[in-house]
Amino acid sequence: MDPTASSEAFATMAEAASTLVNPALQRWRDDGGRVIGFLCSMVPEELFMAAGLLPFRMRATGSTGTDLADAYFTNLNCSFPRHCLNLALEGEFEFLDGVVGINSCDHIRRLYDNWKRNVDTGFLHFISLPRQSGPDQIQWYTQECRMLRDALAESFAVEIKDDDVRAAIRLANQGRGLQRALYALRKQERPPINGEQALVIMVAGTAMPKEEYNALLSRLLTELDGVQGEGDYRARLMITGGILDDPAWVRAVESVGGLVVTDGTCFGARLMWQDIDEEAEDPLEALARYYLADRPSCPRLLDTQEKRTQFTVKMCRDFNCDGVLGEKMMFCDQWDVENYMLDMDLADEGIPFLRIDREYLTSATGQLKTRVQAFIESMGK
Amino acid sequence: MTTEEHRGIRSYKEDRERYAGFYALSQQSENPEIRVAGRLAKFVSEARDTILTAHEEGRPFVNNNYCTAPEITEAMDIPWLMLYEAPFMAVSVEGLSDQIDETGAMGLGTDLCTAIRSSIYYVEKDLVPVPSAVIGFIFPCDGMPMLHQVIKHSKTWGHIPMFCPDPPYFNDDRSIDYFANELKKMTAFLEKETGAKLDMDRLREVVEESDRQYLLWQEYNELRRAVPCPHGYGLGGPMCFAVSQMFKVGHKDGTEWFQNLVDLTEEKVEKGIGAVEKEKIRLFWFDIMPSGFIFEFMPWLEEEFGAVVVMDMFGNHPYTTIDTSDEQEIWRGLAKRGLFDTPMVRQAMGPAEGFVDDLVRIVKDYQIDVVVWPGHMGHKETQGTFGIMREACRELGVPFMDIRMDIFDRRYTTPDQIKDKFARFFAGIGVG
Ligand code: SF4
Ligand code: SF4
Repeated sequence: MDPTASSEAFATMAEAASTLVNPALQRWRDDGGRVIGFLCSMVPEELFMAAGLLPFRMRATGSTGTDLADAYFTNLNCSFPRHCLNLALEGEFEFLDGVVGINSCDHIRRLYDNWKRNVDTGFLHFISLPRQSGPDQIQWYTQECRMLRDALAESFAVEIKDDDVRAAIRLANQGRGLQRALYALRKQERPPINGEQALVIMVAGTAMPKEEYNALLSRLLTELDGVQGEGDYRARLMITGGILDDPAWVRAVESVGGLVVTDGTCFGARLMWQDIDEEAEDPLEALARYYLADRPSCPRLLDTQEKRTQFTVKMCRDFNCDGVLGEKMMFCDQWDVENYMLDMDLADEGIPFLRIDREYLTSATGQLKTRVQAFIESMGK
Repeated sequence: MTTEEHRGIRSYKEDRERYAGFYALSQQSENPEIRVAGRLAKFVSEARDTILTAHEEGRPFVNNNYCTAPEITEAMDIPWLMLYEAPFMAVSVEGLSDQIDETGAMGLGTDLCTAIRSSIYYVEKDLVPVPSAVIGFIFPCDGMPMLHQVIKHSKTWGHIPMFCPDPPYFNDDRSIDYFANELKKMTAFLEKETGAKLDMDRLREVVEESDRQYLLWQEYNELRRAVPCPHGYGLGGPMCFAVSQMFKVGHKDGTEWFQNLVDLTEEKVEKGIGAVEKEKIRLFWFDIMPSGFIFEFMPWLEEEFGAVVVMDMFGNHPYTTIDTSDEQEIWRGLAKRGLFDTPMVRQAMGPAEGFVDDLVRIVKDYQIDVVVWPGHMGHKETQGTFGIMREACRELGVPFMDIRMDIFDRRYTTPDQIKDKFARFFAGIGVG
């Protein structure tokens, strides 16, 4: 029996992951709280928390097309920003009081440029993200954090003290710890949750007040304690890649016998595999160090490829995976070349790897299922 | 036992001879414009020779780039090549299509910029002389840092020490200071890896000479404002870039080349002679011009429609001179030049405003009738400014034509298809 079926905590998270404005976010707004959308997981959301704002990691859940956005982007742009802009032009992001952009990739930075011109959002700010993670870049990013903090303080007329940032870091770390505890359950032979459910839980964490989320997740962990899942899968899989916020995609993978037990995506483990230093003298520097250098990175940062492969291999071994799925959004140069290298690295390690190009919306899954099935078969499972 | 010659060295030798041949041929022409254009071939041949000589003498040579202060390597007297130039030069290589196809077989996505794919191909297949150190350029697009990650990852170049100046996003003072510091670190890296030393007086000389080139280039571009425009796609533009930023950075013979070009053009403008007999449509080609197959449709455009490329992205001159009286200003000037003046980087690197400002300025300055956006498949950030560009053109009242092509691969949108698009577009706006 599916242990999440009767869980109220899970149902709340599932609702948050399948909508933009979930009840918790709505309550926050009804109470006068304000919400900031941000465009990449390298944006230090702890600063929004420290300012008393609710961070909302942008996604285009519920989008059905890109007709309006197609006047601004072309069909050679990643479908993620196209769907986001489309929803924004339809007025679906009116619940945001601000948007923070970043030059994390060519498509995302242009999403910001187009947003700025066409969508009426109160607070707008852009972060200049370095392309490496050495000491000078950490200093630069610390300064960027300071500038973001000051812009937030000024626009929202709040004071953001170092202690507020420290408190936010602690709260966010608490959530990260709970998420890691959830992932630890997935190491089991018969994990109590599957990959689709795990993604639901992770996505929910990016769209509701952290206190509330942490409480829900603690409850769910208690409910899952000692529970065993079905165990009728054919292969244990890890997913690597960028933006993957759609549980339906994982459902398609799991429908042909692959059980997703871990990942290296930016709605998944890369968000929480590491904690931010809570003791650092300068909490802003701690944020910069974490986002640039400490946490499992994305190919956006030049000097991190070797570390990324090591991370993938270790995750694979720790979670006893049979193979890795490298998902990549169409027209994403970063993950395309990353997967080109990862393919070679994993071959050296004897780990089967399947590269899959995808669009943001999970629509026809026939081809995906066929490919995953063939992959599982090629592993003799 | 004889060891086989490295393929990169072999191809550089072939290049040296081939370009020397082009040069000799061009100098036999009666037409002074052909002779000026032909000198570029000489410069390429000489640049190849510099690398080959260093190789033969066992002296270090490095990889550097047009946007990471080549003035510094010049001042340090370190021979340098530019890996990224390979796909642009490869157009003269037979079998380019096969090379592009092979990148797909290697496992690179076909939607990745062909310049990046080809550069990766050149590294992985060991087709370029192996430098002693790599200065990387990890901007303006996502492709470039990925290329450099592959370099680090590769069996061929992975062992080479590499330094990549880190690029900030904006062009404010803080960003310029940051990048200036990166260039200082780059210099220290070069000193360590090659044993050469940077003499600031020598750097000043190089910068001053390159400033002279930029001033002459500016003069030349002023002349291109004339109606009719003295030159079309075939002269000026990208050549000015290649001389000043790649093959004759801060060299007197580069300056002399510019002077020649200006003199010739002045004469033409005074006499009212244009690139074509009857100029009818002035085009702004807002991107890189296609390598290789440009000759398959540009002459047709000129002859059939009197349509002349008056300005293009690489011919666009935004360079400012550098204040050499102050050491820190030299560093800052070089930083600004690399990040915010150099073509492609300038447009693709930062926020869309910079992009649009250039578009508006050029349309006005050069009395442009049609903005042509080739829509190169690799330029994802430009694809993301598609609507912004179109709106800017609408506001200016200038037609905006988008082609959607691969500037390296003629099969993506073939020259015939491009011709067809132009014919229809001109007919649509009533100028055909
Ligand atoms: S893949 Fe990288 S750049 Fe893209 S959203 Fe995720 S962390 Fe940001
Ligand atoms: S041609 Fe464009 S996409 Fe290709 S490398 Fe240059 S800037 Fe990047």
